[in-house]
Parts: sequence; C-alpha cells; structure tokens
Amino acid sequence: MEIQSHYKKLTLLLVLVTAVTLIAATGTDPVYTDPYKLEYPDYFGNRISIPENNPTTKQGVYLGRMLFYETKLSSSKTISCGSCHQQKLAFTDGKIFSSGIKDMPTKRNSMSLANLLWVRNFFWDGRAKGLEAQAKVPLSDPHEMGNYLDKAVKDLQKTKLYPDLFKEAFGTPEVTSDRIAMAIAQFERTLISANSPYDKYLKGKYKPTAQELNGMEMFMNSADAGKNIRGASCAQCHGTPKMYMELFHNNGLDSIPKDLGREEITGMPNDRGRFRVVTLRNIALTAPYMHDGRFKNLEEVLNHYNEHIQPSRTLSVSLQNRPNNVGGKNLGLTANEKSDIISFLKMLTDSTFINNPKFSDPHLSRK
Amino acid sequence: MKKYHISLVILVCLFLSTSFQNLLAQTAVKQAVVKVEGEVLKPLSLSISDLSKMKRADASMKDRDGNLQHYSGVPVFEILKQAGVTVGKELKGENLTKYMLVRCSDGYEVVFSLAELDPSFTSRVIILADSKDGKPLADGIGPFRLVVPDENKPARSAHEVTNLIIRFAKD
Repeated sequence: MEIQSHYKKLTLLLVLVTAVTLIAATGTDPVYTDPYKLEYPDYFGNRISIPENNPTTKQGVYLGRMLFYETKLSSSKTISCGSCHQQKLAFTDGKIFSSGIKDMPTKRNSMSLANLLWVRNFFWDGRAKGLEAQAKVPLSDPHEMGNYLDKAVKDLQKTKLYPDLFKEAFGTPEVTSDRIAMAIAQFERTLISANSPYDKYLKGKYKPTAQELNGMEMFMNSADAGKNIRGASCAQCHGTPKMYMELFHNNGLDSIPKDLGREEITGMPNDRGRFRVVTLRNIALTAPYMHDGRFKNLEEVLNHYNEHIQPSRTLSVSLQNRPNNVGGKNLGLTANEKSDIISFLKMLTDSTFINNPKFSDPHLSRK
Repeated sequence: MKKYHISLVILVCLFLSTSFQNLLAQTAVKQAVVKVEGEVLKPLSLSISDLSKMKRADASMKDRDGNLQHYSGVPVFEILKQAGVTVGKELKGENLTKYMLVRCSDGYEVVFSLAELDPSFTSRVIILADSKDGKPLADGIGPFRLVVPDENKPARSAHEVTNLIIRFAKD
C-alpha cells in the first residue's frame, strides 16, 4: 500500500517536472534567432531607421512579404499592398491615381518603394513617422483597402497558415494589427535598390556614355551664368547617391494648388503645396509623375522644371533664379541638355531590384 | 446709481471684447514659433514677439552672389542660456559632446557643436534672425532663419527654422 502511494507521488512528480520543463522550453523558445542582414553600399550612409521593438528578422520579413501580397487584408479581398506597388514598376502602378476597393481612386499617385530604410517621414506629405505607422494608413483607409484591418486580423487568425507564421516571427500565434504593420515594415526595409548602372559607375564598374556623363554633370551642377557654368540644379534636392533628400518643397506645379499638400498636416501656410522630394531611383519605371500624376513622361517633367515653374509664396527657393543664361527668366536648358539628363536618369534603373525573387509575390510559389 | 450703470456697461464691454479677442485668436492662422528642446532644462517655444523682448544682436553674411547682407535677431547663445542649456561655465567635460540640431519647416537639417555657439569659445556670433534691414524676413526665408557669419557656403544659415534640438553625440 505504502509502495503504491510512493509510486503515485513519483509519477506525479515526473509529470510535474516534464510539464515545467516543457513550459520552460516553449517559454524560452528563441524568437529572433535569424536576424535579416540588410546589405547596402557604404555610400548610402547609416542613418537608417529600425525601431528597437521591431528588429528585422528572416521570419518577420517572410511574414511581411506574405502580408504585403495578401488580398485578405482588403474588404473586397481583391487589393493588397502589391496592387498599387508592383515590383516590375519599382513598386508603383503606372496609374495617375491608384484604384482602391470598388475602383475608387486614391487622392495621390502611388509612391515607389525603394530604400525606405533611410526614410523617416512617409507619404507625399510626410504624415507618418516610421514604416510601422505608414503601413496602417492604407490598411485603414476606406478608399484604399476598405478599412478592413480589424476584421482582417480575425480572418487571418482563422487561417491554417498565418498563426504559425506569426508565431515564428513574433513568438506567439496571435495575429494583431500592430504585428501586421510590423511585419510589413520589416519586409519593406529589405527593398533596397543599389545595383543600377549608376551604382556600378560609383563603384568604378561602368563607363557611362558621353550623353549620360553630360547629363550627370548637368544634374549635379547649379548654373552660374556669369561664370559660364551650366547646370540644372537637380542635385540641390535630389543629390546624394540615394537620389533624394528628406525635404518637402513646393516645386512650382501651380500658383494656387488644388491639393494643399503638407499644409493639411502642419496647418502652417508656408507648407502650402509642399510635397516630398521623391527618390529618383528607378524613375524611368515610375511614370506618371508628381503627387497628382500629371506628367506622362520624363520629357514633360524636364519641360516643367525648365520652363513652366509657377510662382507662388511658397515656391521652393531652390527653384528660383537659377538661369543658365545671363538675365534668363527660366532654367534655360537646351533640348540636348534635357535629353542628356534623361539619359542619366535612366542610369538609375535597377533591373536586379525589379527582378529580385525575394521581393516577389510568395503566394504564387505556394500555389 | 448712474455711475454704477456706466461702470457696469464698461465692464460688460470689456468682457465682450476680451472674449471676441480669444475667439479671433482661435480662428487665426497658426503662429510660427521656434521650439527649443532636447537636453534643455526649460523647453521654449519662441514667437516673433518673444524674440523682440530678448537681448538682440546684428549679424551679416554673404549671400550666394557674395554680397554682404545685414540681419537682426537674437544670439543663439542667449536662447540656449534661457532654455537652460549647458553653455558658459558648464560647457566642459561631456557637455562638449553636445550638439544643436537645427530643423527647418521643409525638413532641412544642420548641426552645430555647442562650442561653436558659445562666446567663451568663439567671438563669432551666430543669430536666430527675424528681420533684415528692419523688415520681417521674406517668404521661404523666414519668419526665422539662422545667420552664420564668415562661412564660405551659406548652407548652415538655414531658412524657415522651426526647431533647435540639443542632443548628446552618442557613439
């Protein structure tokens, strides 16, 4: 009798120890075991933004990629981030305004997603600080994805696939709106474009044509008519190898802008008609141009900066009084200079980036 | 009794006029200010009228064409002193690794080390200017700009300044 009771106690103890060990083992289950190595050239610099609570991991990036292309995130189950941000077009959609659910047009032109690791304020008007905050905006917008985020959380939780992917990325299988945004942000941080002919030129591995070289010179220089220095002053705002600076300028599209731009966010009248200075990387792929997609091609863009700048109280100082000809009223570029600049801009097209299988729709290969 | 009536009317008028002023202020355009923040004891939010009450100074700088331009404003050092930044006698040791990040409304940013702004280190006076030749600064330049004398490039004489942020250089 006594022996039997001892056995019982022993069994109980064994069960307890096993249970505690199991709980401890799952509790210490290492979540962030596979950091994702973000590779980029030194000339991009290291002023990157990764929040401490959302390190970039292989599991997180994979989940983010799945979610980026997940149509279940929209109320109509037809739109994903990838609908308006298509890899072959450097993550734009070729439209003046994108179509959200029920073909409702968005307010502004779809932005290219490249080298976002360095961007701190997102959207044309800089309203979102950080990619995590950015990702939630289209997901919650009634016109873009049908304000479906909270319901999508429940839908994804019920799938076979996603709870496991969330567990791998974040330690537990709970699907939350924060985790969705965090995973998408992780994926977007990996969208690095740094293998264009211009990059090869910077690394001494590509010899530009005469047109490309002249275009580059014109792009980088500011005109000084008195000293006979010709230039288009593009680098004033689009300088540095990243081809943008984090600035919000009124680039003279309209004297009285229909879209107030950054003023809507800040409430300051000196922000009227100000929009983000976009990256020019892959610019040849991302037509139409400007926040309202008004220019069909790069020729129209060059013509705008050359001879159609509209004056206003908030017109960028960088776009005023830069004539190439003494006493000139506008930039004064010749037709050849304009086409040379376009040749240079085409050097920024990165075919590796738009064909990188790591950035493509993972749902296609799962089918 | 008549006197009492008159004073009552005056009081009511005064009350109404102040409430109207408040109403007007609420609907008026947002006022431009420069915020001083970060490693400060007392964060500041300075308007044009605040600057007019502070110790003022003039400064000149060359424009892009090399012509000398004259500005008036408040030495940045005075602003930092008022915000309780470690300048003057306290600018030593680790405080020498502090910098001032200047942010502008269009997102433009430049930095200065605190020692560049302190008269115990340098005689050059950098000002936060609010007027040029006695007039407010032009659109796209003001209402506040930095004027950094004796620099070969005007790039740090930032336009449309909105924030002066004091930080430690880390790593």
